[in-house]
Amino acid sequence: MKKIARKVWVISAIILLVITAFLVFQFQMPHRDVVSLEADYSISANELVDEYLLDPKKANQKYLDAEGDSKILSVNGKVSKFEKDLAGNIVLLLKQENSKAGIQCTFTKKTNKHTKDIKIGDLVQIKGVIRSGASYDADLQMYEDVILEKCDIKQSLEF
Amino acid sequence: MKKLHLLGFVLLASFFTTSSFTMVEERLISNTILIKIFSHTVAEDIEAQNFKSIGTIDTQTGEVVFSVPMQSFEFEKALMQKHFNNNKFLDTKQFPKAKLVGKITNLSAIHFDKDGTYPAQITGELTMKDKTNTIREKGSINVKGKNIFVDSKFFVVLAEYGIAFTSGKPSTNINKSIDINVHAEFKQN
Repeated sequence: MKKIARKVWVISAIILLVITAFLVFQFQMPHRDVVSLEADYSISANELVDEYLLDPKKANQKYLDAEGDSKILSVNGKVSKFEKDLAGNIVLLLKQENSKAGIQCTFTKKTNKHTKDIKIGDLVQIKGVIRSGASYDADLQMYEDVILEKCDIKQSLEF
Repeated sequence: MKKLHLLGFVLLASFFTTSSFTMVEERLISNTILIKIFSHTVAEDIEAQNFKSIGTIDTQTGEVVFSVPMQSFEFEKALMQKHFNNNKFLDTKQFPKAKLVGKITNLSAIHFDKDGTYPAQITGELTMKDKTNTIREKGSINVKGKNIFVDSKFFVVLAEYGIAFTSGKPSTNINKSIDINVHAEFKQN
C-alpha cells in the first residue's frame, strides 16, 4: 500500500514539474530570430506591392500570421531612400521610380552595420518579417509602403 | 487688349500654381514616430513600442492623421506579443492597422512659424479592430525652427474597441484601460 502511495506521489510530482517547466518556458519563450531563419517567400519589391494593391485581404491572409509571427520574406529591389528611425535603426526603402509604393525595410541593432556599403540606386536582396502591406489611404492622401522589420541584407545584386 | 488678357492669364495661372504648391507644403508627413502602450496591474507591468507609424499634420487646417501597423508593436516577452496579436485581443491579421483621424481644435493658439511649446487639443476618431470611437485628447506641439515635435498621452478603454480577455492569465494581467504615448517629429519645408 505504501509502495502504491509513493508511486502516486512520484508520478504527481513529475507531472507537476513538467507542467511548471512548460508554463515557465511559455512565459520566458524568446522572440523568433528572423535573421537566422529561412525566408518563406522570395519576391520582387514591385510584385509584392502589386499583390497588395490588387487584393489586400488575400495578401494579408497569405503573409500575416494570427499571432504576429508573420511570413519571412526575401525581397529584391532598388534602394531609393536611406533613413534612421527613432530607435536608431536603419530604414531602407526599396522602390522603383514608377511604383506607387515601396518596401520599407528596418534593420536591427545587430544588422545595421551590414548596410554601410549600400548606396541609393543599388539593387539588393533583403530578408525580413512582414508587418503590414501596401495600400492607398484616403485620409493620409498617399500610398503606404509594405513594412518589413528585423531585416538583414541577403545579398547585393549585380545586373 | 490681347496683351492684357495674356497678363491676366499669367497672373491667374501663377496664383493657382503658387497656391497648390503652398497646399502641399502645409501638409507635413513623418514616419519618425514612436508610439508606446503601457498597462499596469498588480500582477505585472506590460509595455510595447512601435516605431513604424506614419502621420500627417496640416498646419493650416489642423488636420492630423496617424496610421499604425499593429504587428509592429514589440513587447519584451514573446508570449505577450502573441496575446496582443491574436484573434481574442487585437486580431491583427484581420485588422493590421489602427488609425487616428483628428483635428487640432485650438489651431489659432499654435504658431508653427514661432519657436515655443503650445498646448494642443485634438478631437477625432480612433479606429482599432474595425471599431471607431470619438476621442478628445490633449497634447503639446513644440516648434523649434523647422522642426515640430508632437506629443500626446491618453488612454483607451479596451472594451470600447471590442477587446477583452474573459478568462486566463491575460484577463487578470492586462488593465482594462491602456496608456498610449505618442511622439512624432515633423520637419517643415
